[in-house]
Amino acid sequence: MENTYLLLALAPLIGSIIVGLAGNRLGRTLSHSITILGVLVSTVLALYVFNHHVLEGGDVFNQNLYTWMQIGGLNISVGFLVDNLTSVMLVIVSFVSLMVHIYTIGYMQDDDGYTKFFSYISLFTFAMFMLVMSNNFMQLFFGWEAVGLVSYLLIGFWHGKESAVEANLKAFLVNRVGDFGFLLGIALLLAFFGTLDYAETFALADEVNGKTIFGDFSVITMICLLLFVGAMGKSAQVPLHVWLPGSMEGPTPISALIHAATMVTAGIFMVSRMSPIFELSDAALTVVMVIGAITALFMGLLGIVQNDIKRVVAYSTLSQLGYMTVALGVSAYSVAIFHLMTHAFFKALLFLAAGSVIVAMHHEQDIRKMGNLRKKMPITYVTSLIGTLALIGFPGFSGFFSKDMIIEAVHFSNLPFADWVYFAVVAGVFITAFYSLRMFFLVFHGESRVDHHTEEHLHETAPSITVPLIMLAIPSAVIGCFTIEPMLFTGWLDNAITIDSVAHGSVVSLKEHFHSAMGLITHSVMTLPFWMMVGGVGAAWVFSLYRTQWADAIQKRFQRTNYVLESLYGFDRFNEIVFVRGSRKLGDLLWRISDMAIIDQFVVNGCARFARFVGSVIRPVQTGYLYHYAFFMIIGLMLVLTWVLVTGDNPLIQLGS
Amino acid sequence: MEFTAILFYLFGFCFVASATLMVTSRNTMKAAMLLILSFFSAASIWLLLEAEFLAITLILVYVGAVMVLFLFVIKMLNVDQSTLRAKFTKYLPLGVAVAAIVIGQMVLVLNAGQFGLDAVAEPARHAPDYSNITELANLLYTAYVYPFELAAVLLLIAIIAAITLVHRTGSRSKKQNISEQVNVQAKDRMRIVSIPSGKNGEKK
Amino acid sequence: MIALSDYLILSAIVFCIGLAGIFINRTNIIMLLMCVELILAAVNTNFIAFSYYGNDVAGQIFVFFILTVAAAEVAIGLAILTLMYRNRGSIDVDVTNSLKG
Repeated sequence: MENTYLLLALAPLIGSIIVGLAGNRLGRTLSHSITILGVLVSTVLALYVFNHHVLEGGDVFNQNLYTWMQIGGLNISVGFLVDNLTSVMLVIVSFVSLMVHIYTIGYMQDDDGYTKFFSYISLFTFAMFMLVMSNNFMQLFFGWEAVGLVSYLLIGFWHGKESAVEANLKAFLVNRVGDFGFLLGIALLLAFFGTLDYAETFALADEVNGKTIFGDFSVITMICLLLFVGAMGKSAQVPLHVWLPGSMEGPTPISALIHAATMVTAGIFMVSRMSPIFELSDAALTVVMVIGAITALFMGLLGIVQNDIKRVVAYSTLSQLGYMTVALGVSAYSVAIFHLMTHAFFKALLFLAAGSVIVAMHHEQDIRKMGNLRKKMPITYVTSLIGTLALIGFPGFSGFFSKDMIIEAVHFSNLPFADWVYFAVVAGVFITAFYSLRMFFLVFHGESRVDHHTEEHLHETAPSITVPLIMLAIPSAVIGCFTIEPMLFTGWLDNAITIDSVAHGSVVSLKEHFHSAMGLITHSVMTLPFWMMVGGVGAAWVFSLYRTQWADAIQKRFQRTNYVLESLYGFDRFNEIVFVRGSRKLGDLLWRISDMAIIDQFVVNGCARFARFVGSVIRPVQTGYLYHYAFFMIIGLMLVLTWVLVTGDNPLIQLGS
Repeated sequence: MEFTAILFYLFGFCFVASATLMVTSRNTMKAAMLLILSFFSAASIWLLLEAEFLAITLILVYVGAVMVLFLFVIKMLNVDQSTLRAKFTKYLPLGVAVAAIVIGQMVLVLNAGQFGLDAVAEPARHAPDYSNITELANLLYTAYVYPFELAAVLLLIAIIAAITLVHRTGSRSKKQNISEQVNVQAKDRMRIVSIPSGKNGEKK
Repeated sequence: MIALSDYLILSAIVFCIGLAGIFINRTNIIMLLMCVELILAAVNTNFIAFSYYGNDVAGQIFVFFILTVAAAEVAIGLAILTLMYRNRGSIDVDVTNSLKG
């Protein structure tokens, strides 16, 4: 089995290296064939691994394959931990990656960096595999950084475009902040646990539980909070969310791959993986839950006022990541992974569909300039509809099951602030439905506001684009109702996730209330989230199709709220004023005071001036006159004589008596 | 009072007096003479201490050679007496003070308690056939022959140094180089130029 | 009876007169050299006194060498003086301060 895992991880890497180095010489067709072959091999193997571990109940594989370094008692190696959670993640990542690779053939057709792009997304796939399969924190961090790096490379793929370069810098820097917290968490963990291996850490978790640091602060809480800071950076929780909308500057395939399905879910995956530790800290779980709720609600609100098709989906991603985080907070780790899985499929689908629309509209992205596209682009229309229905939680589609489970889990939680969080996630359903359908109606329904010239060329996009759409639409629709029972309740993820059932009994309560998937569907009409969704759909229809002038009227009426939303709650401005300008001022200050004044003037010049000063004081002693020298000698002699007579055992001159 | 004591006090007084007069004298010539007198007194004291050879050597070498050298130089250089006299009294108090302090300290050390007759007994006088020179030679050419040779080398170096210092190089001295003079050519001594002649011998 | 201390005090007095002479006659280099000679004479007396009272001839040997070295030193000192006079035209020390720092 070891070779299977190795091949699974290395196939995309090999493809990436070959195409990266020799892409231009190999030509486009050969390049994309090699990389797609690599990812296809990984997908097949991932399905095989999934079958072996989850369906056939294979043993957990936890082995170190290569010792990277041995420092004293600390062993850092490259190793794989493959259990059910890993298998699920492998399937998700490889499948979405394969779809994106196929999609790129059509999307990046007229781009010069065609082969480079394929190399990058294969490299990303490799990095994600290493992250997911790692069995120690160092390898996790390596994968973490590697996906961040490839994300940076891909966001700024069109490096001639200045906004893209700004965006990729922002993404990298904000991720860096998260990574800094992450690294501090790992360091603290190493300090107190003495090991970086998962298995050893989890075994020691109870032992370290009572220890405190800096007085009364629990070590476990501190570690969890710091690790979560890393997750906040990677999974774009408030306030480290500012990079995700900017990442839309990159080509749509990577928005689908990285910023919807895989990289942003790394944080969620990491917290789930660390469940044995997180379960020991109520405070950390509360923080996780609250931040998730803030993200879910407020980012959703921002989705309402966006006019760029990709930005709407981006804020939707942010909001759904908030949902996943909330699920983690209420200790419903398996629910979070479940939502991660369904979200990966339907969000990738939505992004790719948006990309399809953009290609058809000749790279026009403003939804105010679209409309009534359903006649001209039927496949895109249907798949988008499926994706949207999944997103808003329409009964029966995959998103419905996962989102509903999250809301119910929050309902059963007894952490502090759980009531407010429940309100937030339920309100989020309304908002999600509203912005999703607003975008849907504005793009595909209503009167056509398309530019006349573009409208003539409007047609359905190539099969290389539409086939992945269809292939993603299928799981978006059905995977929910098939996998909800096994994943959440019959223990698919049991050997990976630890829950303290007594203190955090949400999943236990969920299990008690659960009857069957069909039961959930029929029961749904009696639940509040369902009616919230309906209300959202209705409101969207009213404001986008029925009476669009009411939308404009409200926008004019509530100008201040509108301003707050459109300026994205001022996060960007805050970051710019406080951090960017602040750092620059700090740098300036340090340069002027510390560098120029203190180091240059005071220390370097000061030393020279001091030496010169001392010289100028001593120099007059050398008068040049011979007799002065003689005098000094004589007077010195006299002083020496005096000193010899005064000190010593039998001083001949007694000072005092 | 013993005769030697009288002699000691006499010569001692002479020594001190000539020394004092020497340092306070304004005339360099007079100072040199007074120094000679003080050397004579010192030689006498040394005779009292049965260092006959050295006493005579002092007269011969110091007075006979070194002081004569001094007198040569004094006469050769025109020492401006007036300016030297003017700065005389400026440092007089300080000098006297320093000297007094040092004398006081030395007397504290060298007082009778430490070095008096009780501590150091007066040795017996030697017999009349005591030869100071033989005693010195016995020691000088056996135990101290190496310093003796070194002193000779030192004198040689001093000679060479003194000569080298005041030696005037070729440009200032009018020495003849015979071979150069004999081998001179006409072209070294004469150069024929052509000057155009103008009216009435004017140059153009 | 003359004690050793008498001779020592005598030479100490002459030594200090020489010191005072250096202080007083600082402008006249020849006087400086002569005061140094005086100091050397006092020191020699000291050695001879110790040699006599200590019954050790080594003191006189030392004086022998001091005389030698003093003679050499005077020769060189006067040569330097001559050079100085030749180069500057006077032996006024107040103008010879080119070693000034």
